[in-house]
Amino acid sequence: MRISEDEIRKLTLEAIEELGGKATPDMVKMVVQKSVSKLGELPDEISSPNLTTGRIILTSFGINHPGIIAKITQTLSEAEIDIKDLSQKILDKFYTMIMIIDISNSPKNLKDIQEDMAKCAEELKIKIYLQHEDVFRYMHRI
Amino acid sequence: MPYQFEEILETIRMTEIEHFDIRTVTLGISLRDCVDRNIEVTKQKIYDKILKYGRNHVAYAKEVEREYGISIANKRVAVTPVSIPFDNYHMEDFIEIAKVLDKAASEIGIDYLGGFAALVQKGFTKGEHELIKAIPYALSETKQVCANVNVASTKAGINMDAVNLMSEAILSLAEKTKDNGSIGCAKLVVYCNVPEDNPFIAGAFHGVSEPEVVLNVGISGPGVVLDAVKEAGNCDLNTLAEKIKKTVFKITRAGELIGNKVAEKHKIPFGIVDISLAPTPAPGDSIADILKAMGVEDVGAPGTTAALAMLNDCVKKAGLMASSSVGGLSGAFIPVSEDQGMIEAVRKGNLSLEKLEAMTAVCSVGLDMVAVPGDTPASTIAGIIADECAIGVINDKATSVRILPIYGKKVGDMFDFGGLLGAAPVMPVSKLSSKNFVERGGRIPAPTRSLTN
Repeated sequence: MRISEDEIRKLTLEAIEELGGKATPDMVKMVVQKSVSKLGELPDEISSPNLTTGRIILTSFGINHPGIIAKITQTLSEAEIDIKDLSQKILDKFYTMIMIIDISNSPKNLKDIQEDMAKCAEELKIKIYLQHEDVFRYMHRI
Repeated sequence: MPYQFEEILETIRMTEIEHFDIRTVTLGISLRDCVDRNIEVTKQKIYDKILKYGRNHVAYAKEVEREYGISIANKRVAVTPVSIPFDNYHMEDFIEIAKVLDKAASEIGIDYLGGFAALVQKGFTKGEHELIKAIPYALSETKQVCANVNVASTKAGINMDAVNLMSEAILSLAEKTKDNGSIGCAKLVVYCNVPEDNPFIAGAFHGVSEPEVVLNVGISGPGVVLDAVKEAGNCDLNTLAEKIKKTVFKITRAGELIGNKVAEKHKIPFGIVDISLAPTPAPGDSIADILKAMGVEDVGAPGTTAALAMLNDCVKKAGLMASSSVGGLSGAFIPVSEDQGMIEAVRKGNLSLEKLEAMTAVCSVGLDMVAVPGDTPASTIAGIIADECAIGVINDKATSVRILPIYGKKVGDMFDFGGLLGAAPVMPVSKLSSKNFVERGGRIPAPTRSLTN
């Protein structure tokens, strides 16, 4: 984990403000060091956003009916895939769901999972797309 | 969620509804080490080298397509301009080389291979002369090989002898492929100021300053830009420019990602993203439709050139911001037969060859996929090429001519090539003669712009 000088200076100023006028240089140093080491403990996915991960974005949409999410999540769990985030919207009869999944611990590769999902989609009469997260990161984040 | 709902749906909409795809991933391969005194050995070396690097090209591209959910329309190969390493060969040898390139292309499963090329803007070597003589035979006897010849540049001027030779070659090729609507001419481009890293067929080749092997990518996305223009509604041109730039930025980023990933799989360096907007005959995938959505009644109306200039500039600005490795032609393509809107404009008589020529002064290529009557004289074709070169030379930009004098066809006829090449309506050409001018031969000297160093 790399911290720029600016960030350290900002931390120090914050620490001085928190500790008040009575703080000795040693006390400030101790608090800052503690904060810095805490920063280092952040999980990798937050501290290094450039890392290519096994994160896949699953988008599905179609006419809403019961059992869609149940079927999709069941297929995912059978492939030992972790769901990292999920969001859905319903507009009249249509539903849209977007899921962020992590396939790095799954015994299956992306191709197999896409094939499983294609079967799901056919059964449920909806559309399911699986795309690597990078394409969204490249297109929507500078 | 790290992405907003709308962002994710926007990407899905682009790829699934608006025809956003990567038009081509083109593998550039140097053939400079393939030369041998014995033509048979040379042929084997060429074949082996293309297979060595290109064997998995299609498979790798398909893998990346699947991972990112963005389709890659074409997988192609470009080689060193054949005239350079094989300069000591004769016409018959060059035809043999074209055949071996064709064989290698079909073996690795690509649709086109570019690089049967020569750079003769300042003059010919013996080999280059032989290669140009071989072009009508090479392209009519092969299916997948594409040729291009650079006849002019800002630094060298216009080689009128080369222009004349090329117009003869075009007519001869049209005659040799007359049973298929003179399709051979669709594989031949005459260039001015040719870029060395263009991934788009038919003008692609692997330039002499390029590395051993490299991967270049060409994006496409008229449909995406069209929807952005429609969505912008009745706003002023500044606002419209902003909207177009934002959209092109996103598709360029996706293009760069795809290019990098395919190169990574090949374990070769990634070259450039060509940020051209390339239309296809599919409905909605048209540059003409964008111009109409911008406000002109049809392509060819006064204002068309201005609209195209703005569109082209927005594409360049956004592309340059989005990627650090922009190259190739990078602008908007206006091929007539490959763009449904352009075809309609020609059929209705709204778009003439002359207006099209004016439009090429502000966009990335030149007169592209333009069908003219089969009985057009060589000197008239030479005149058209010379005019196009003059635009390129004076404005220091790439221009090109890919003209199809369709054998036996007259003004108003149509010929459907099918697939990406589309259907070409035969356009009227001025009956006035350029003969005495072009047959002077020699070279139009370089303009003062080139004497800055």
